[in-house]
Amino acid sequence: MSQRVVAFLFFAALIAVVLVPPPLAAQTANAVKSWTPPKTADGVPDLQGVYSNATTVPFERPKNLGSKEFYTEQETAEKAKADAAAAAARAARDADPNTVHYDLGQFGLDQRVTAVSNRTSQVIGSEGTIPPLLPEAQARIAAKNAAMRGHNFDDVQHRSLSERCIMWPNEGPPMLSPGYNSDLQIVQGPGYVAIMQEMIHDTRIIPTDGRPHLPENIRVLMGDSRGHWEGNTLVIDTTNFTDRTAFRNSGENLHVIERLTRTSDKTLLYQFTVDDPKTWAKPWSAEVTWVGINNPIYEYACQEGNYGLPNILSGQRAAEKEQANAAK
Amino acid sequence: MRAMFAWLIAGAALLTGLPAWAHHAFAQEFDEKRPIKLQGTVTKWEVINPHSWIHLDVKGPDGKVTSWMIEGGSPNALFRQGFTKDSLPTGSEIVVEGFQAKDGSTRGVGSNVVFKDGRKLFLSNNTPGQNGAAAPEN
Amino acid sequence: MPAAALAALALTGFPALGQQAQAPYRAPRTADGKPNLNGVWQAMNNANWDLEGHAAGMPAKEVVGILGAQFATPPDLGVVDGGSIPYLPAALQKRKDNFASRVKLDPEVKCYMPGVPRATYMPYPFQIVQSTQNVMFVYEYAGSVRVVNMAAPTKAPADSWMGWSNGKWDGESLVVDVTSQIEDTWFDRSGDYHSDALHVVERYTPRSPDTMMYEATIEDPKVFSRPWKISMPLYRHVEKNAQLMEFKCVEFAEEVLYGHLRKPGTDPYTSTNPNK
Repeated sequence: MSQRVVAFLFFAALIAVVLVPPPLAAQTANAVKSWTPPKTADGVPDLQGVYSNATTVPFERPKNLGSKEFYTEQETAEKAKADAAAAAARAARDADPNTVHYDLGQFGLDQRVTAVSNRTSQVIGSEGTIPPLLPEAQARIAAKNAAMRGHNFDDVQHRSLSERCIMWPNEGPPMLSPGYNSDLQIVQGPGYVAIMQEMIHDTRIIPTDGRPHLPENIRVLMGDSRGHWEGNTLVIDTTNFTDRTAFRNSGENLHVIERLTRTSDKTLLYQFTVDDPKTWAKPWSAEVTWVGINNPIYEYACQEGNYGLPNILSGQRAAEKEQANAAK
Repeated sequence: MRAMFAWLIAGAALLTGLPAWAHHAFAQEFDEKRPIKLQGTVTKWEVINPHSWIHLDVKGPDGKVTSWMIEGGSPNALFRQGFTKDSLPTGSEIVVEGFQAKDGSTRGVGSNVVFKDGRKLFLSNNTPGQNGAAAPEN
Repeated sequence: MPAAALAALALTGFPALGQQAQAPYRAPRTADGKPNLNGVWQAMNNANWDLEGHAAGMPAKEVVGILGAQFATPPDLGVVDGGSIPYLPAALQKRKDNFASRVKLDPEVKCYMPGVPRATYMPYPFQIVQSTQNVMFVYEYAGSVRVVNMAAPTKAPADSWMGWSNGKWDGESLVVDVTSQIEDTWFDRSGDYHSDALHVVERYTPRSPDTMMYEATIEDPKVFSRPWKISMPLYRHVEKNAQLMEFKCVEFAEEVLYGHLRKPGTDPYTSTNPNK
C-alpha cells in the first residue's frame, strides 16, 4: 500500500493546457538567436514575469529510446495520447477514497501550464541520463544510508530537508518543477536579477556586477550565485554549496551553471550544466522551457503551517508505544 | 536541430516532477487501518500551506460533538482558479471519507470530501471573481 | 545697536528666517524615471525588541540564567509617534500576557515570517529590487519576501504571513498598502500584537543618497482605539559587495517546536544523524 501511495505521489494526473511558443530551434545551448527580446529600462534583456516551469518531459530518457533525443511530430502526438490515457487512469485511482492521501484534483493541483516540447528527456545529449555515480560518491551515500537505517523517525533532524520546511529539492539551483505550484517570478533591478520560487518562497538575488563568489569557507544550502549577460542570455554561476544540499546525490563541490534566455513573449528557455568531480565523471546538462502565466505568485509559507512534521513524529511515537505494549 | 511543435492538447498528460515533492510521509501520519467516514459542519477552513485543513464538528449518535481536522491540499492552485478563503463557508455541511491519524487523535486525511449533497467542494466551473477573488494580473 | 541698523537688519531678515525648510531631497532616478530605492537596507534601532520607548530591561525568566546580559532588552527612544501604542482597554491585557510569555509565544522564536512592518526593522538587512511593474522586498530573516504590485491594485484571496501589497508613487515616496496579514504575527519581541483586521500603509521616502525615512501607519479597530504611526530612518549598506546571506532559521527552531516528539533515549547532539 505504501509503495502505491509513494508512486501516486510521484506521478499525479495532469491536465496540460499547452501554450504555443514560436517555432524555434532551441535544442543546443547556442541555438536561441533568431528572436530579439525586449530590454528593461536599464538596457539589459528583460526576463521578467511569472512563469510555470512544469513539464511533461521526463527528467531522464526512457531506456528503450536509447540515443533518440527528439520525437517526430507524429511521435509527439502519440506520446501525448498515451500520456493522456495513463493520466486518466491515474485520475480515476486518485479519486478512490481508499487512497491515504487527499484528492489532488479537488484542489486543482493536477492542473498546470506547460510548454510543448519534442524532447525525449530534460537531460540533453545522446545519453539523456545522468552519468553514473563515481565509487567515492556511492560510498558516501551508502555511509549516509547506513547511519540513517533504523533511525529515520527518531527525531526531526533525521527527516528530510523538505519535510522540515527548510528547503525543497525543486529549488536547487538548478531549479526544477516541484510537480505542483510550479511557479517562479523574475524581477529585475539595476545590476540584479531576482528569482522567487513559489515553493517554498525562497528568492535568489543574483548580482550581475562581476563581484566574486563568497569565500570558500561560507557554505549555504542554495549555494551562492553570480550572474553575467552573454548576449541575450543570463548566465548564472553557483558554488559554495553545503554537503547537505545533495542535488541528485552530489556533494559540496557541486557547481551549477544556468542559462536563461527569453525565446518569445511567453517563454523562457532554462538550461543548466552541473558538475561535481567527486560525484560524476563528467558534467551533464538539461533544459526546460518555462511558460508565462497570468497569475501572481501566492505565498507558500511552509514552516508556519507545518502540522505534518509533528504529526509524523507523533504517529511514530504512538506506533512504538503500541508495539511496546503488545510485547508486554 | 528540430523545431518545437505547438498545438493545443486537450486532455491529460503525465506529470514529471521531482520525487521529493512527496514532501512528507503520509503513511507515517495517517493509518490505512483506521478508515473514517464523517459527516459534520465546517467550523473553520485553514487556508494555509503546505496543507489546508478543514475543521469540522461531528455529532455522534449519542449527540456528543467531536472536533476533527482534515488535511487537504495546498490552496494556491485554488487561488489561481479564482477561489478564496470564503469559498468554504463556516456552517457548510460536508462528508469526509479518509483515514485517521496514526496517533489516534481526531485528525485525518480526507481522500474524498464532498458537500452533504454529494457535490465536490471546489467545482471547477467557478469563474474568477465569483467569490470576490483576486482578478488575475494582465 | 542703533535703531536704524536694527531696522535695516529686520528688513533684510536673517537669511534662514521666514524661509521654508529646504526643498525635499530628490533621489536619483531609475531608468524609467522613478525614485531609485534599489539596494540593501537596514534599520538601526531596537524597535524589534519593543516599539515603544523603554529603558534597558531584564531578559525573560526562561533565559536570564543562561544568556544574561546578552539577551537583555536593549534601551531605545522608541519609534511610535506620540510615544505609546493606543491599545483599546480590553486589548491591553493580552499585550501584558504576551509579554509575560514572550519566549514561548513570539513567532520569531519559531522562525515564522514576521509580517509588515516588523520585517522592516528586524536587525537584519533587506534588499529592494525595483522594476516598473513590481517592487520586490527580500528580507534576510527566514527568506521572507513580498512583491509590491505597482500596477492596478488587486485583492488577496486569503491571508498570508507577509500580507498583500499594492503600491504607488507619491512624489518622492513609495506608498505601499498592506492588507490581509495573518493575525499571528507580532510587532516586536515584547508582545505588541494585532488582529486579522490589520491594515498598514507604509511610506518609503529617500532623504539622502544612503538613507530613507520609513513610516508605517497601523490601523486595527479590533485592537487599537485609533490609527497610530511608527517612523525611523533606514540606512543603506554601503560596504563593497553588500548582499543578503542565507538565513534559513527553521532548523534553529526545531528543538523548541519538536523536541518533545523525539524518540526517548535520543539526543540532538549525539544521535547518529548523518545530516549534522
